[in-house]
Amino acid sequence: MEFDWSEDDLQHRAEFRAFLDDFLPDDWEQLAEGGPGSDVQAAFSRRFCRELATRGWLTQHWPAEYGGKATPPWRHSIIGEECWANGEPRGPQYMNVNWIGPAIMRFGTNEQKAHHLPLISGGEVLWCQGFSEPEAGSDLVALRTSARRDGDAYVINGSKIWTSYVNHADYIILLVRTDPDSDKHHGISVLLVPMDTPGIEVREIPSVVGERYFHEVFFTDVRVPTSVRLGPEDEGWGVVSYALQYERVGAARYARAALTLDRLAEHARERGLLEDPLVVDRLAEARTLCEAARMLTYRVIDERAHDHPPSTHTQIARVANTRADYAVGELTVEILGADALEYGSFADANFRLAMTAGVAVGATEVQLNLIAARHLGLPRG
Amino acid sequence: MDFELDDDQREILGAVERLLERHAGQPRATELAAKAEYDHALDEALAGSGFDEMVDLESRSGVLEATLIVEAIARAAGVTSFATHALVARAALGEAVAGPVALSAGDPSAPIRFGADARTLIRVDGDDVRVVPLEAGDAERVASNFGYPFGRVTHDALARGRALGAGSSATLRRWWRLAIAAEAVGTMRAALDCTVDYLKERRQFGRPIGSFQAVQHRLADCSVRVEGSRFLVYEAAHSRAPEEATACAAAFALESARLLFRETHQLSGAIGFTREHPLHVWSMRLHALGSELEGVRGHRRALARARWGVS
Repeated sequence: MEFDWSEDDLQHRAEFRAFLDDFLPDDWEQLAEGGPGSDVQAAFSRRFCRELATRGWLTQHWPAEYGGKATPPWRHSIIGEECWANGEPRGPQYMNVNWIGPAIMRFGTNEQKAHHLPLISGGEVLWCQGFSEPEAGSDLVALRTSARRDGDAYVINGSKIWTSYVNHADYIILLVRTDPDSDKHHGISVLLVPMDTPGIEVREIPSVVGERYFHEVFFTDVRVPTSVRLGPEDEGWGVVSYALQYERVGAARYARAALTLDRLAEHARERGLLEDPLVVDRLAEARTLCEAARMLTYRVIDERAHDHPPSTHTQIARVANTRADYAVGELTVEILGADALEYGSFADANFRLAMTAGVAVGATEVQLNLIAARHLGLPRG
Repeated sequence: MDFELDDDQREILGAVERLLERHAGQPRATELAAKAEYDHALDEALAGSGFDEMVDLESRSGVLEATLIVEAIARAAGVTSFATHALVARAALGEAVAGPVALSAGDPSAPIRFGADARTLIRVDGDDVRVVPLEAGDAERVASNFGYPFGRVTHDALARGRALGAGSSATLRRWWRLAIAAEAVGTMRAALDCTVDYLKERRQFGRPIGSFQAVQHRLADCSVRVEGSRFLVYEAAHSRAPEEATACAAAFALESARLLFRETHQLSGAIGFTREHPLHVWSMRLHALGSELEGVRGHRRALARARWGVS
């Protein structure tokens, strides 16, 4: 074990920070308050990610044959940390480079790789994720959206829900049931569907998280060629399990929470609240949660750096990140008092992102189930 | 960055674990607790195999190795001041002192862990640190339910000894915090393992208690805390116990220790409180560790001071 960053990594972080300082507009903090799915951020992400691509930073962790530099996973994690800490200027594209691209590399046909990977590594494309359905949330395997085979095409009918970024997306990575007689893990397939395919309708679900955060997506006789299928027909659950291992720690929530906490400590100082030992105690407690989440996330990256198969370290890290995000979110609202109530304020913007932490990308309870079964070896109920 | 043990670390950890299998463990701890005795034989075994001085505390990997040994001893419920004499005293004083070594801060009449068995006491009082050689009659045993032998040292003895130079108080506290946190990690791991094993076996309502989701989620939460504590401690050790990282590791680990006590006992039921069931050997110690250096409150205050300059 050793916990030093290499000289190269330190230099890389310094270079990337300098680039962020230079490239992000002066009013970026305000622009970024709408979250990665806002109009402003989605639009900015196209410019930002193209720049990252030009500098060879967007997908440097990818293998050389797909336009990467095969750098160790640590290198990409530094970019992830710095981006999340600074309001994620990659917008929704963090998903592309973290897990959608790698899933296509692992399961895609040569045509799919040739088409999609250059778009992703060039920072040219926005994706969204069509997994959850009204009757298939935590129990994702209950999904019913169907893709009926019709010659060389699938005809898709059904709906997806809670979809973020769909209003900007060029593609949706879609889970469908290709075997109409199935109802479990078998019979599910993954489709890579262009959003401009006729028959797709998007409706916003207004929420307290923010504008255009949640959407419902309806598919009515949407016809796509079977060549958009990623991986084997009816065996898409394996594809999505692989992808989710990468997704669950894709967002460096601890980095954003830790930076927010430092800013909160400054607000508290300005208000004289650092004289209050109860405030200091809570700030320090939140800091410990951020640091624990950081170390547990690093352990997942380390697992990848050693080429080990994904393990429950992922779920453990995910739960720790959720706890950290929540603690900082709550404390921000509590310490800033009535000022937190104004929409778009520092505390409000942070709280809106933090409050979804335990639900987004799989409820905490599902992660805890997996930790109990696989890490602790507890018997099934 | 590398989260896996290297060959040296694996070898040292394996060697100490083999030694602990012979010389420590829960039955031994229970036997000693009944007589409120310190395990001098374990100290001799550890010293005989060179563990006291095996690692180079000037090096980052050396401190990490010492910390792994401390954690392993705590898992095996060793009744020894190894963490204090082989890690804290050596690192903070820059020299070995006669062991067992006890540490004291705050209220001078409070019970001190290993206070009745120690040959050296290190007393921290504000910015002052004094190293006090203890002799027969300087301390009396204090009965305690909290898993270690405790003693009270006379006021005369506390006032003796040689004073260390400026800055030694802060240094000592950093290493002390690291040691407490490492001991808490080993103790928590053992308490959790003990509880998980029991809940896989114990059946009620026709099924193992550990199969109930209400139980599983709480144990899973405990393991998130334990794993987080572990790696915060390892990172703090590897950077040779800097102020902020040690305060952070101790604050998180000792807060986790409270949760571990609560949950392991609640989920183990009445048997968990008995002497015949092993849980108490580790669980009661968690609160003893949590009482040192003002506990979680003190660690958090130190963290806020290091991080945000809170006075």
